[in-house]
Parts: sequence; C-alpha cells; structure tokens
Amino acid sequence: MTMHDESLRPEEFADAAAAAIADALGRGPREAAHVLAQAGLTGVCAPEEDGGMGLGIAFAVPIAHAAGKLRLPFPLIEQLLLARALAGSPEGEQLVSGDKIATIAWAGSLAQGMAGTARHASVSDWVLVPEANGAALVDLAGVVIQSDTALDPEFPQQWLALSETTVLARLDATATGALMHHARLLLASLVNGAADGALQASALYMANRVQFGRPLSAKQAVRHWLARMKLVQEVSMAAIQRALATNEYGQARTAHTALAGAITNAVFVLEKAIHLHGGMGFTWEVPLHYSLREVRKLDAAFGAGSLARDLGRSFIKAA
Amino acid sequence: MHFDTNVVLPDPATGRDAYRRHARTWLRANLPMHMRADSLDYRSPSLDESRDWEAAMYRAGLAGMTWPRTYGGHGLSLREHLAVNKEVGALAMPESVSSIGKELAGPIIMAVGTEAQKQAFLPAILRMEHYWCQGFSEPDAGSDLARLRTRAVEEGGHWRINGQKIWTSGAAKSQFCLLLTRTGTVADAHRGMLMFAVPMDTPGIRVVPIKSIDGKESFAEVFFDNVVVPDSARLGAPDQGWSSAVRVLSIERATNRMYRPWRFECELRHLVQACKSDQELSSLLQDGYYQRRIGDVLCEIDGLKGLVECTVESMMAGNEIGARGSLTKLYWSECHQAFASLALSLMSHVNPTSSPAAQRARKTFTGAYLFARAETLYAGTTEVQLDVIAQRILKLPKDLT
Repeated sequence: MTMHDESLRPEEFADAAAAAIADALGRGPREAAHVLAQAGLTGVCAPEEDGGMGLGIAFAVPIAHAAGKLRLPFPLIEQLLLARALAGSPEGEQLVSGDKIATIAWAGSLAQGMAGTARHASVSDWVLVPEANGAALVDLAGVVIQSDTALDPEFPQQWLALSETTVLARLDATATGALMHHARLLLASLVNGAADGALQASALYMANRVQFGRPLSAKQAVRHWLARMKLVQEVSMAAIQRALATNEYGQARTAHTALAGAITNAVFVLEKAIHLHGGMGFTWEVPLHYSLREVRKLDAAFGAGSLARDLGRSFIKAA
Repeated sequence: MHFDTNVVLPDPATGRDAYRRHARTWLRANLPMHMRADSLDYRSPSLDESRDWEAAMYRAGLAGMTWPRTYGGHGLSLREHLAVNKEVGALAMPESVSSIGKELAGPIIMAVGTEAQKQAFLPAILRMEHYWCQGFSEPDAGSDLARLRTRAVEEGGHWRINGQKIWTSGAAKSQFCLLLTRTGTVADAHRGMLMFAVPMDTPGIRVVPIKSIDGKESFAEVFFDNVVVPDSARLGAPDQGWSSAVRVLSIERATNRMYRPWRFECELRHLVQACKSDQELSSLLQDGYYQRRIGDVLCEIDGLKGLVECTVESMMAGNEIGARGSLTKLYWSECHQAFASLALSLMSHVNPTSSPAAQRARKTFTGAYLFARAETLYAGTTEVQLDVIAQRILKLPKDLT
C-alpha cells in the first residue's frame, strides 16, 4: 500500500486492517503490537518521518471498527492516537514501531493522584493521564494498578495510583482537545464495530437455528428485533461518517453525539444479541459477553450516560 | 405579504456553501414573523398565505431544486437540495401545503408521464397553482395495496372509475388526485394497477372530511361514483406506470422532507427557549433527568442527520437507494415521537400564570405530540419498515436454504 496514493479510500483500507487484526488475535501483547505495527495500523495517522503512514483520522475509523468487531484485546486505538499526538518525538516513533505499548486513562487526573478506565493498562508501558491544561504521558513502570474484576474478570477495569510518577511527555490543551475529538470518533467506531459483529453473528445463528420446524429468522418477532438492531447500527455508522465530514462552510463537526449515540446503540444491539442466542448467549460459549463487557466498561469510563446528560445541559445553556 | 423575489440565484460551482448561504439569507429575511411557530406573533397561516410564501420560495430558487429546467425546476443536484433543506429546517416555518405535489405526484409524473402531462402538471406544481392529493389507501387496503378495489374500466377512449379512497390528505383543497386503481379484479393482487391524474372537479367525486386526533380535518374519504376521465388522464400503461411509481416511492421515502432533523433540532431549541422564559419551567431544565432526555434526543437528531447526508452522498455517487429509505423513515418517525413525548412532559407544567412564550409553546407542542401519532403510520407503518429491513436489507431467510 503506497502512502501517496491519493485514490486510496478509508473503506478500501478496512479489509487490510481486518486481516492484520485477525493475525494479531491470540498472540501475546508484545507480538501483537509488532504485527499491528508491521501492517501500518499503529502508525496510520503518524507522520512518515516517524515511520507512520501520514493518513487522516478517517483511515483509522475502519481500523477501530475492525478491532471492535474482531474483539481485539489490545489498546490499538489508544496507541495509534498517541503515535499521532506525539509526532516527531522518540515516544511517538516507539509507538509506531510497536516497541512500546500505550493506553489512555479516560477518567481521573494527575492532580487527583488516581486515574482509571485505561484499557489494557497491565500490558502497556505508558498511559496518557489528564491534567489541568492538557495531558501527561506517564511511565507505568512502578505504578500500582488495582483491578476491579466485577464487570470483567478477564480484562478488568483498572485504577492507577499516581502518587510518584515519571512524566515522559506532555500534551498541551490544544493537542489534548484534538486527541479527544479523534478518540470520540474511534471509540464510537470501536463500539459500533462490536455491535456490527454481534448483529452479524445473531442474524447467522437465527437463520440456522431450527425450532418449530423452521429457522428462528422466519419468526416475525425475531426478524423485527434484528431489523431494529440493524437500524441503530446503521445510525451509529452514519453519525460517525457525519462527524468526520465538514459542513457546507468547510467547518469541522464535533463527535460528542456520535460517541454517546454509538454507546447507547451498541448496548442495545449487544444485549439483544445475547438474548437472541438464548442460553448459549448467557455463557462463554459465544464471545458476545466480551463485547458487552467492553462496551459497558467504556460507558462507565464516560460516566455511564453522562455524555448525553452533558450534551443536554450544553444545549440548554446555549439555547 | 411582500417577498423579495428579485433574486440572483447562486452558481453552485462557486462553492459548496453557495446555496446554503443563499437559503439562509433569503429565508431569514423573508419569512414573516406571524408564520414562525417560535414567535409570539405566530398564528396559523391561511392556505393563501402558505401558497404565496411557497411560491416566493420557488421564485427565490428554493423549491424545485432538482427538477429539470424544462419543467420549471432549477436543474440542480441533491446536494444543493440538501443545503437548502438544512436552512428550511432551521426555521420554524409552516409545513408545505403542497408536499404531495412536490414530493410525490411531481416525481412520479416525471418518471411515467407523457411529455404533454409533464408540461401541463409540473411547472404548475412549483408555481403553487395546483394542489395534489394522493389516492392510494382504501378502507381494505392500507399497508397492503394488493387488496386495492377501486376499479378503472376502459370504455372507448375513456376510463370509468368506481371505488373509495381514505386517509387522503388535503383532498378538499386539491385540484388533482394521483389516483391508484386496478383494471382487473382483487384476485390479480399487484397486477393490473393503473395510475391516473384525476381533476378533483370531475362529476362523481365526493370528499368527506375525517376529524383527526389533533382536532383538524386534514384527511378525507374520497368516493368515486362513475367518474369518467379521458385517456389523457392515464399515467403510464397498466402495470408499467405502477412499477415505475414504486421505484419513485422508494427514493421519495429516503429523500422527502429532508429538512426533518434540522427542523427537529429547531423545535427542540424552541421548546428549551420556551421553558427558559418561565421561572418554574426553567427549574425543570436543571433536572438531570430532563437534561439526559434532551441529550438523548440530540444524539438521535444527529444520527438522523447522518442518515440523510449519507443517503445524499450515496445517491450522488450513483448508487441505488433500494430499501434503505426504510431505515430513514423508521428512524425519523420514532425520533420525532421521542421528542414529542419529551415536549409534552415539559409542557404539562404550563399553567395560566406561565410566561406567554410557554403558553404559546404548549399549544404548539401538544399539537405536535398528537399529530406525531400519525408519523409511525403514514408512508409505511413501523411494522412495514421493519419487515422491509428484515427482508430486503438483512435478507433473513424464512426457510432453511
């Protein structure tokens, strides 16, 4: 894939991304990081001077979708966002090459001495933590990680004690704002990818599971649930595409509603997917539980519904 | 009313923003305060006032955007149509009194009409000289048009029509009816369907208004007793006309009233402003419960904007829209019902001591809530859309393959 091919489109990048992610599945985190790096995914938005591909955030959206759909247990979107944000630094280069692994804490701050909800912190080298006027990249060596396994015993929610930390790099408010905008797009795409995978698995299973002499997909009640799942999954996709585009005046859009909506919609799809899989959906026999936990952890990271409430509050204030 | 119609239309080649800017400037300068639902001066516009407003919009280049110039249109693309619709949605202006003509009859005539029919009907629709009504539904054929009974029989160069239509919006004001009939019997199901453009003053047509939940008489039953029309009223051949019309309908389902999400946002802003104008209602907005509901509706509105914009981009790229219009129809109808329920619950706190703006808004949004009951019914019910999505988009099998 050439980096200067102007005809390259994000959706055409999707298949290559999915193949690399499938290749990384089942490998240890270090090996996975190098597989993803070699396919260009960690550096998709990082500058070419750092070994990246120098592509826009639109190219990372299908990567995030595939990571959600294929249930990749690796902080890929965090890594590629940080590789872009730390452009031109040694840290940025090490993230592009996959020699280091980095994640992002969505909650807490340096000042609080506590940060949390960073995906896969225990396999990461670094974590980005919010601070007063931006964010700090903190070395995880020596940071005490407390795991909360209530929601997810496999990949628990983790809290980081940040009393004595080594700050490796800092992002100012502007850089942090840009990173958060891109993070909303990619997180929305990640959870929508998880919903897409669950919907496809459910539709396939319903078409093959015979009860009362016919496949369950013949039943109108089942067909209508699947149609509703398809509807909201398409809406999330459209909201993400809209947030990526500029308006008629060439102005960029925010991605707040895209993320809040995508989480709500993904929860709906995943809960219904588990329901439609019957008793099997309740077990570890099918991996739907992984996706539901993943989406619910992200929902928790952003205040479990607070995103929508904050949007409402801002709208009221501005009206 | 006086409108500035001495307008130099922008050239879309001058930039993506050209039409949106033009629409914004013209609409804001020309829409009278008494036609803005969020103004204290608002009163329901008369039919003539609505007609004059829409005719002025057309002369200002803001209606008939995508219709060919030959038929009075502006010969532009869906992109300019969308840009204008965003600004139409952003103002609390009255709904079109000619949407059946502009968004249903017009496009169908464009697809299946003869050249003479196109010249006779299309420019008059845009100039607001003719209103149209839609004669599809019957007492025994709502979602299932295969059960249509209204019959057209050829009698030496004429057609004799007998039957009954129902839920016909705007029948009383219309000059023409886009009438769907069958040439055979009910046993023919979808075969032998034939469409006509029937002048509503033809002898034998009787219109009986129906009172709807919102207290208005916007629907009617229309009876056809030995109505005779010339062959020139026929739109296409039997079968051929109807199958073309079905294709047009699927496009219309995806593209009609494209302004909806922008209008819903405008309504939501109106609702919040009305609450903020009143001390008691204002305090409700401090409640996290209402903040969350407003945020949820905003997310749905942006999702709907995304569906509309993706549809336009996809059609501009030459893709068939197919069944995807069902996604948009289902989503907008439920999105607006969710908004209307929220609005009703906030407006239920209005009392005689509330601010004038809140009292005004209570009338508007109570009406909107009642009318919204129809939104999951018309243009294909929710259940029909779910069936279409399951069958044609998800392609779910009904038997083992």
